[in-house]
Amino acid sequence: MRLYALAVYLFLYIPIGVIALFSFNAGRHASQFQGFSLQWYGRALANPLVMEALGTSLRVAFVAALLATLCGTAAALALSSLAGPLRRLFDALIYVAVMIPGIVIGIATLIALVTLFDRVNPALAVLWPASGQAPQLGMGQASLIAAHGLFAMALVILIVRARIAGMDRSLIEASADLGATPFGTFRQVTLPQIAPGILAGFLLGFTFSFDDFIIAFFVAGSETTLPVYVFSSIRRGVTPEINAIGTMVLAVSLALLILAQAILRRGRRQGSGG
Amino acid sequence: MTDRTDTMSRQKFMQELWRLKRGSVTRRHFLGVTGLGTATAVLAAAMPGLAPRRARAQGGIGNRVVLATWPNYHDPANFDAFTEATGAFVDVNVFGSNEEMLAKLQAGGSGWDVFVPTNYTITTYVSEGLIEPLDLSRLPNYDPAAFDPRFAGPGTVDGRIYAVPKNWGTTGFAINTSKLGGLAMPTSWKEFWDITRAEFSGRTMVHDYQLTTIGNALKYFGYSFNSVDPAELADAERLLIDCKPHLFAINSDYQPSMRSGDAWLTICWTGDGKQMNRDMPEIAYVLGREGGELWSDFYAIPKGAPHADAAYALIDFLLEPEVNARESLFHGYPVADSRVNALLPPEVLNDPILYPAAELLDALEFGAAVTLTDPNRAELMARFKSA
Amino acid sequence: MRQGPSAWLLLVPAGAWLLGMLVLPLVVVVVFSFGERGAAGGYVPAFTFANYLNLGARWAAFRNTLTLAPLGTLACLIIAYPLAYFLALRAPARWRTLLLILVIVPFWTSILIRTYAWIFLLGGQGIPALLEALGLGAPRLINTPFAVLVGIVYGYLPLMVFPIYVSLERLDRRLLEASADLGSPPWRAFLQVTLPLSLPGVATGCMLVFILLMGEFLIPAMLGGGKVFFVGNALVDLFLQSRNWPFGAAVAAALVLVMLVTVTLYMRLVRRWAGGRDDVSLM
Repeated sequence: MRLYALAVYLFLYIPIGVIALFSFNAGRHASQFQGFSLQWYGRALANPLVMEALGTSLRVAFVAALLATLCGTAAALALSSLAGPLRRLFDALIYVAVMIPGIVIGIATLIALVTLFDRVNPALAVLWPASGQAPQLGMGQASLIAAHGLFAMALVILIVRARIAGMDRSLIEASADLGATPFGTFRQVTLPQIAPGILAGFLLGFTFSFDDFIIAFFVAGSETTLPVYVFSSIRRGVTPEINAIGTMVLAVSLALLILAQAILRRGRRQGSGG
Repeated sequence: MTDRTDTMSRQKFMQELWRLKRGSVTRRHFLGVTGLGTATAVLAAAMPGLAPRRARAQGGIGNRVVLATWPNYHDPANFDAFTEATGAFVDVNVFGSNEEMLAKLQAGGSGWDVFVPTNYTITTYVSEGLIEPLDLSRLPNYDPAAFDPRFAGPGTVDGRIYAVPKNWGTTGFAINTSKLGGLAMPTSWKEFWDITRAEFSGRTMVHDYQLTTIGNALKYFGYSFNSVDPAELADAERLLIDCKPHLFAINSDYQPSMRSGDAWLTICWTGDGKQMNRDMPEIAYVLGREGGELWSDFYAIPKGAPHADAAYALIDFLLEPEVNARESLFHGYPVADSRVNALLPPEVLNDPILYPAAELLDALEFGAAVTLTDPNRAELMARFKSA
Repeated sequence: MRQGPSAWLLLVPAGAWLLGMLVLPLVVVVVFSFGERGAAGGYVPAFTFANYLNLGARWAAFRNTLTLAPLGTLACLIIAYPLAYFLALRAPARWRTLLLILVIVPFWTSILIRTYAWIFLLGGQGIPALLEALGLGAPRLINTPFAVLVGIVYGYLPLMVFPIYVSLERLDRRLLEASADLGSPPWRAFLQVTLPLSLPGVATGCMLVFILLMGEFLIPAMLGGGKVFFVGNALVDLFLQSRNWPFGAAVAAALVLVMLVTVTLYMRLVRRWAGGRDDVSLM
């Protein structure tokens, strides 16, 4: 059993080890090791295209996850007190949003928005006052945020709703009985109980957006997210720069994970102490 | 490093370059061990005309230029030199077919500043309104008189210049001769497809590109490379589907697999053949006796390019004869610019990979515009891939 | 809870988002799927069933997807279950969190980079060269369905381990002890207690992996050498090479339909199997 687990961990980590190893390659090639060097880290960090792609990815993931969390939490709260056809409609839409393959979302969004912009842009040009240049709508960060946020929002709704379902209702009634305003009840009773779900939804949405390639491939227009950059680097011919980027992303994720773990542990200790 | 401009003559520069170029192993070593910095410095220092542009460039071409091009088609050191000179980084996107480039432009918002279309596609880009005529006053290094009209001609549509020539070349196949065993060296497309299904089974690659893959399958039967005749295409489809289980991969970037020895035979463009042959002499470049494709590639600027200034700066930079010569030495594609050829050493100008014998060249055809938009060829390719 | 205009108001942003980015694009896909391809590609309005009638031309892609997606799911399950079992019931408690985290960590580098590692590992200079050095022959691995399967297992294993782990962890150990006290051999305890109780996790994990695999594009594109074609690859090809939007729309619509049918059937089956239990869900 132990041996089996060890074998699976080796399977999980050997490829990552290979990536990390070749990120220190002095040579230009990703398959022959030609000596130790940090030059690819230097090149990746000095490459503004990598940094811009990282910035775009972080920005898109943050905004998409934030909007998704706000809209999703609001919808989850409303849905928990709703029954009937509207509720069933929402349930069905959320089900479809979670289940539909990213590639279909990417394609559907692309052709819908391209068609829409083709109609809207000439109209804008006509309607715009002659003094100025009419803005042109196009694919970009906004369309990407909208497409990523859709899936993230569906996740948030599912998670928060599960949390609400597991909530202790008597507390809400007690709060109302004690004369709290509905908003006060929400802020002091409901919110603290569903907060972990909201946070989990935000993090999942962020991770999804940050890691997504296929939707961005279709919807990002001229914007380059980190996965899109990595994909085009791989097509351009592999250099250890890609390995260096991957290793750094992994290292940063690990550091964040350890940090989060430490914060959680500290919070727990304080929680149990107080 | 700019003050070395005067101390290094043009001849010295070419010597320097050539020393670097002699064996690609040394170059790789050179680039790998020293980093690209030295190469860039040598190059930037040796290039007249960079200094004034630097002043202009800093006036505001921006910090980036997005280039859509083909695999293994540029010397990275030249891009580094461009960045060094202008402050604009070159964001390189690689595509394996003209269809892919067209699809990206048609969908809008490609974000490209410069792209590299092939001769036969330019009329379609013009009729679809995807490219604009070039402002030649911003390309002082483009001298129409220096270019061979056979290769520069397709850039002009209805008397207006939409694209300027990059390189020209042929589409043949590359074969790892050390894997031939007792087999005779194949010299035709018929043999290409036949050994794919026999001795070389599992080791052949074809382009992920309808023009060349379908075109050279058509050549098996002696049909035109550009045929859109349904009956002829049906023959080609049968051949392709018959060969598919024997293919190693369908990919326009075949160099890594050929170099690693995973693949032994591939449809191949001039420069890739040259690059592989330079490093691994056992890989030979062959033009099919029946014919095949003769092509010329161009630089063009898509309508609404976000960094048009940088686009003109990049094209002009790459057309500078010294830079262009270095590009050609690196990627092994011939240039139709007589000013560049004057800089190239005789070994290159006599290289049979770059400049095939006349009887082989005569059998080749330029791609035809209709193949780009013909729905049957597109669908045939897709069926072949999904089969 | 109270139900008033405020509840409706809370639904507006989410509703608008779902309408604008999900319903409308899907409607456009359906509309386009009845259209015709323009002369240079793209879409021309029309009303024809030709695209749907032509779906047979992508039968191979659907067949590949419908074989390799269940196969990949099964492979994930077979590899993940013993690991999840070990983590939940056998691993020392002290190490459990760390071991669990170690399962997710690879998941945190981009799937692109993880798959890219396998291009090298499965290529001629990777594992085949190693096997040859050991005198075991040099099989060709890269660009085969096997390579795609390895990529799938590598990419989606954590998604399978987690739900199974969660369901096994909830398992009441006293049940196992009781079973042992009653003289059952361990394998009977496993079959009668552990396995049935872990089924919800298995069902959830399989569903997650299967759904993702149905729309997979990257892994076959990178490890299949353009030869192992999923519906996702066919879609990318139709939109990014042959520019046949109407046919692409029809293929996309067919894919969604196939998924709806398989997933609904699967859920039915699992529900019946689990005896109408409600804890089998997507999340």
